[in-house]
Amino acid sequence: MRCPICKKPTDGSAANRWRPFCCERCRLIDFGRWMGEDYRAPDAPGERVREPRPADRKD
Amino acid sequence: MSGRSGNDGYSAESIRVLEGLEAVRKRPGMYIGDTAERGLHHLVTEIVDNSVDEALAGYCTEIGVTIESDDRVSVEDNGRGIPVEVHSSEKRSALEVVHTVLHAGGKFDRGAYRVSGGLHGVGASVVNALSQEFEVEVRRDGRLYYQRYERGVPKTKVEDRGPSAGRGTRTVFCPDPAIFPEVSFKYEVIARYLREMAYLNAGLRVRLSDERSGRREEFHYPGGIREFARALGQGSEALHDVIYFHGVREGVDIECALQWTDALHEVVFTYANNIHTIEGGTHLSGLKSALTRAVNAYAARNNLVKGKELKLEGDDTREGLVAVLSVKLPEPQYEGQTKTKLGNSEVEGLVAALVNEKLGEYLEKHPGEARRIVAHAVEAAAAREAARRAKELVRRKGALDSGALPGKLADCQERDPARSELFIVEGDSAGGSAKQGRDRRTQAILPLRGKILNVERARIDKMLSSAELRTLITALGMGVGEDKDAGKLRYHTVVIMTDADVDGSHIRTLLLTFFFRQFPELVEGGHLYIAQPPLFRARKGRQERYLKDEAALEEYLTDLGVEAVTLVAGKGAAARELKGAPLKAMVRKALHYERMFEALERRSKERAVVAALAGLAAQRRATAESFRSEKAANELALLIAKEVRRPELVARVEAESGAAYRIVFHQARNGATAPTAVDLALFHCGELREIRRLGAELEGFKPPFALKSGGVERTIESLKEAAEAVLEAGQKGVEIQRYKGLGEMNPEQLWETTMNPEARTLLRVQVGSQEEAEAIFQRLMGELVEPRRQFIEENALNVRNLDI
Repeated sequence: MRCPICKKPTDGSAANRWRPFCCERCRLIDFGRWMGEDYRAPDAPGERVREPRPADRKD
Repeated sequence: MSGRSGNDGYSAESIRVLEGLEAVRKRPGMYIGDTAERGLHHLVTEIVDNSVDEALAGYCTEIGVTIESDDRVSVEDNGRGIPVEVHSSEKRSALEVVHTVLHAGGKFDRGAYRVSGGLHGVGASVVNALSQEFEVEVRRDGRLYYQRYERGVPKTKVEDRGPSAGRGTRTVFCPDPAIFPEVSFKYEVIARYLREMAYLNAGLRVRLSDERSGRREEFHYPGGIREFARALGQGSEALHDVIYFHGVREGVDIECALQWTDALHEVVFTYANNIHTIEGGTHLSGLKSALTRAVNAYAARNNLVKGKELKLEGDDTREGLVAVLSVKLPEPQYEGQTKTKLGNSEVEGLVAALVNEKLGEYLEKHPGEARRIVAHAVEAAAAREAARRAKELVRRKGALDSGALPGKLADCQERDPARSELFIVEGDSAGGSAKQGRDRRTQAILPLRGKILNVERARIDKMLSSAELRTLITALGMGVGEDKDAGKLRYHTVVIMTDADVDGSHIRTLLLTFFFRQFPELVEGGHLYIAQPPLFRARKGRQERYLKDEAALEEYLTDLGVEAVTLVAGKGAAARELKGAPLKAMVRKALHYERMFEALERRSKERAVVAALAGLAAQRRATAESFRSEKAANELALLIAKEVRRPELVARVEAESGAAYRIVFHQARNGATAPTAVDLALFHCGELREIRRLGAELEGFKPPFALKSGGVERTIESLKEAAEAVLEAGQKGVEIQRYKGLGEMNPEQLWETTMNPEARTLLRVQVGSQEEAEAIFQRLMGELVEPRRQFIEENALNVRNLDI
């Protein structure tokens, strides 16, 4: 298993208190990204009503 | 011997000398710090420093230190040798003056040494005063001179012992047990110091030998502090090779070696005139401010901290830094508790200017290294920021106590975590239904919307808002980070309940990743589940069925179809009539068989070619060997072409990597359709294996087929159509509703199908699925939009992947 942040090989077992990270710092970076709303999934195309484009609005 | 000291012409001066040196003996701590281990070893460094000064001045290349068996220490160099001629003002040999007068020696005369180490110039006289016995030999101008002292008092004149080759000074002393409670020297302490001296004076050869143990070492580093920095950084991965620069500014010689590593701590060693300035000082301040400035300037110029409100602070730029800074200056001022802090204020600006200039140059010339260094600092800043956020979150008064549960949470009445369930429900309307439909005694509901952000006109991003995550963490009750306590989990069943669409799968992926990363205990304890809301509702007459997914729907319709029809396969004597379970088995196999072809067609594998390959493989006329040589591949191409019998398909054999060949079929007339590559990958793929297996099992069912239903008979020409006809028959009179979201179910339906512990199916999230979840997450967060979209469509709905 690799640390999700720094990608270094890491021990994923319960023996590693920072699992799945390699260290407290990487865990914190990850936590900071969650709280900073940095993890964003692109919205599904076509599932949401699109704003009308300027061309559509010709009266 | 000591009794004779008054008779050899030394008496008058000796008294004066004694006054000075007696002060040293009375208060040794004032001169060497203490009389414990540190002070004792300081004696050695005082003598060695004199030799190093010779080296600094360019006259000495070798220093030898020996710990003799009786704890005497000898220090020998090949410098110029201490002058022995009569000192003009003291009217005595300079050699004797150096050893008997405090603050004597060449260090106070800027002519003799431009710069010098030595602790404040107390030097040899202090060591002499604190030694039971002290001897010095000087080789100079072709002769050997000698003098011996006891507790600082000369016991001989400076003796000329005749001609001698070479030059240099050799000092032997043995510390006075009346001063030092412990007079045994430690090899490691001396070795550490000598190694440092060898690093700081590139090329200087320093030998240490211990006659007590026979241990000996030589320290010699042509690379100087470059090698020092490299050695200090060992054990961590370096981001680049050591950066080194050297310059003289306004008479101050500044030398610096820098290396960033992946370590989290910084290792900075600073020296002034070879003295390890443990407390730092002005040179260190100069280095620090210049590092921060140079790294920030480069990052800003190259837009490397874009989009973040991050500022790289000093600590960030120094994370993982290994640095050795050595300055040499004419009149060092030392401050601090242990007099190991450089006080010369002018040095700060000089060091800062040089480091800023040289590091700036390096970064400009090495963009790859520079980016790594900046990225490392940005990470450090992010970690710092994250730590701050985490602490804030934990500190916020009672924010994470269960006593202050968030308003959005509809908690359950049960207080025993083992019997409490938390449903994390996507969307407010579904959350509302879940709140109404739940068993409020044991089931808590936390609605989660996700946050939508308009990034660009065409792109919208979805994320879990920090407020929602905070709410979630509070609801779980375990705390977060350092203070996390899995024993405080408030619900032993935590269920993620999201819509069966792409949005839902995004939210689910985000939540799963969040749990896997920040709350692995939840998964390890088997507490995390994924709800399985139905995808379909089928109604036939008064009967209502909820169906989990397409497969369940198909099975349901097959069951209905098989009840309604009879199928006759083949004709004449070979005809077989099928109904009930055998018919169901055949239909399911046929549908699966069909799906395998469709899967391959999506990968642009022409159906006829695949069918031919499967047939040939079943007859062992196509084997893995068919791809091992050009000849075999050509033969297989002909066989396939014969089976396919489509003249517009043209085959071409191409070489692949790994000594393999593939056959590419393409349309001769119309290039619009993608070519079909027949290669080892196709030959070994799961779909082809299934096609071969099912093909054999369906061997007995040959067209034509006759479908009998309610007295009507219909002839069907292919297996595929026959299977579909059975399904169609099943569909008759059935109303199928597809649930696009949880919100389309009313509270009762949601309870009945998804939440009721008696009827529901929950998927437990397994520890082993973490890597897969990570992979999905990584792809989701990936930079490339196109493959990402494609990936989501293929995998988003496939939650079962997580339940391996």
